[in-house]
Amino acid sequence: MNAIRFQKVGKIYRRSHLGRLTESVGLDGLDLDVREGEVFGLLGLNGSGKTTAIKLIMGLHLPTTGDVEVLGRRMPDVEVLARIGYAPEAAYLNKSLTGRENLRLFAALSRVPAPAREAKVESMMTKVGLGHALDKRLSEYSKGMLQRASLAQALIHDPELVILDEPVTGLDPLAIKEVRALILWLKARGKTVLFSSHDISEVEKVCDRIGILSGGRLARTMTQDEWRGKPDALENAFAAAVTRTDGVGEIRLD
Amino acid sequence: METIKAVFSYTFREHVRNKVWLGGALFGLVMLAGGLVVSALAADERGRVMLDLGLAANEIIALVSVVFLTVHLILQEIESRSVFLILTHPVRRWHYLMGRFLGTLGAVGAGLAAMGLAHWALLKLLGWGGDGWYLAAWLCSFGKVAVMGALALLLSLALTSEAAAMAFSVFFWILGHFSAELRFVADKSGNALLRSALLVFSWAAPDFAHFDYRNAWHAGAPDPRWMAAGAVYALAYAGACFALSVQVFEQKEF
Repeated sequence: MNAIRFQKVGKIYRRSHLGRLTESVGLDGLDLDVREGEVFGLLGLNGSGKTTAIKLIMGLHLPTTGDVEVLGRRMPDVEVLARIGYAPEAAYLNKSLTGRENLRLFAALSRVPAPAREAKVESMMTKVGLGHALDKRLSEYSKGMLQRASLAQALIHDPELVILDEPVTGLDPLAIKEVRALILWLKARGKTVLFSSHDISEVEKVCDRIGILSGGRLARTMTQDEWRGKPDALENAFAAAVTRTDGVGEIRLD
Repeated sequence: METIKAVFSYTFREHVRNKVWLGGALFGLVMLAGGLVVSALAADERGRVMLDLGLAANEIIALVSVVFLTVHLILQEIESRSVFLILTHPVRRWHYLMGRFLGTLGAVGAGLAAMGLAHWALLKLLGWGGDGWYLAAWLCSFGKVAVMGALALLLSLALTSEAAAMAFSVFFWILGHFSAELRFVADKSGNALLRSALLVFSWAAPDFAHFDYRNAWHAGAPDPRWMAAGAVYALAYAGACFALSVQVFEQKEF
């Protein structure tokens, strides 16, 4: 059973400025399946379509062509969002709220029943290590604390599918280790986890399968067997599969 | 309903924390300065001048606040991307928009009520006794605030520029005081194009004659049917602006 299915999905961004229309390709006929209960890593260079794919899953974008199915429902579908937890690459939280108020808001939006809400908020904040900062404003949180508050809002409603966009980018080594442990903990509880990353070593450690995106297409998928115990196998496969689309050349060493 | 309530609650709190109550402080200063001037210049007409000055200051401060707040309301959330995170939860876009709008209207309405109470108490000290009329004036000001807030929200979403939305809001606000005059000029105009343009503007701009309590004031207590017609107009105009705002917002990709 698939938790996520992309079927020939294309996304073209159209922008109009002073009457001039420009188009750029976000996804180009993407076919991708993520199975229930697995940890799937989405790898790719900047502009390869990772974030576009995630935005299509979350219903923030509409596909230009093709279909996106999540947990058996065609997206965009507001109802299915109650079964998904999503943490973006940066914590886009309202800084005027306290940690408690922020999580209370997301618990209400995620349909956590009102009588259980307060206890859930406190236990989740404690779980992500912010029990001491419940009543502090988010404007006083450090970057690491904000990232944890963002993880808390993604998990407060015990979702079936967890999507993490670049979850380790900009974190210190200790926090990276904790995020890794969290992903494995989610997997042990039968959750499906999709995360995007640039960090090949991180992906190697936690993923069951990976998909390499290049130019909006799925260039390659690999299973754990193909890289476990084979140093540099994933890195080499990645380098062979991707093509730079950001207009920059290689660093020359001559 | 739960999501509207949650969004309303955080919006209201956000405005209070962002010091919307400073408008009340400004009102206090206007009243204090006005009182000093009035006691020196118009000792025999002190009550009447304080009444007019207070109601005008109250209304202007509330209108400036509501236009400023609603113009930034969604655009700022798009810029900070906090809207992005909220819409990845099971939240219908119109629920989000409704919660944000009502939260802002609630905060400005609370400010308007606080300023009104202070003003009313001051008038009582001066021996003024038209309580029912004062409530009617307050309701008319709130009707104007609701209409302008809805219009500013629509303009901000349609124009996606805070400066342009603010400028157009002020333009329509001014135009709203001359709806009858615009229709009169349109009737007298021989040019079909000019006539159509004037009529379009007169119907598109809010008609503040529905809230002009001053005419009724000097003729006695406002007629309840006139008040009801004003309430229906405010609901219809704000509802139409809100429905159009939802249409625009539904098309947006984040």
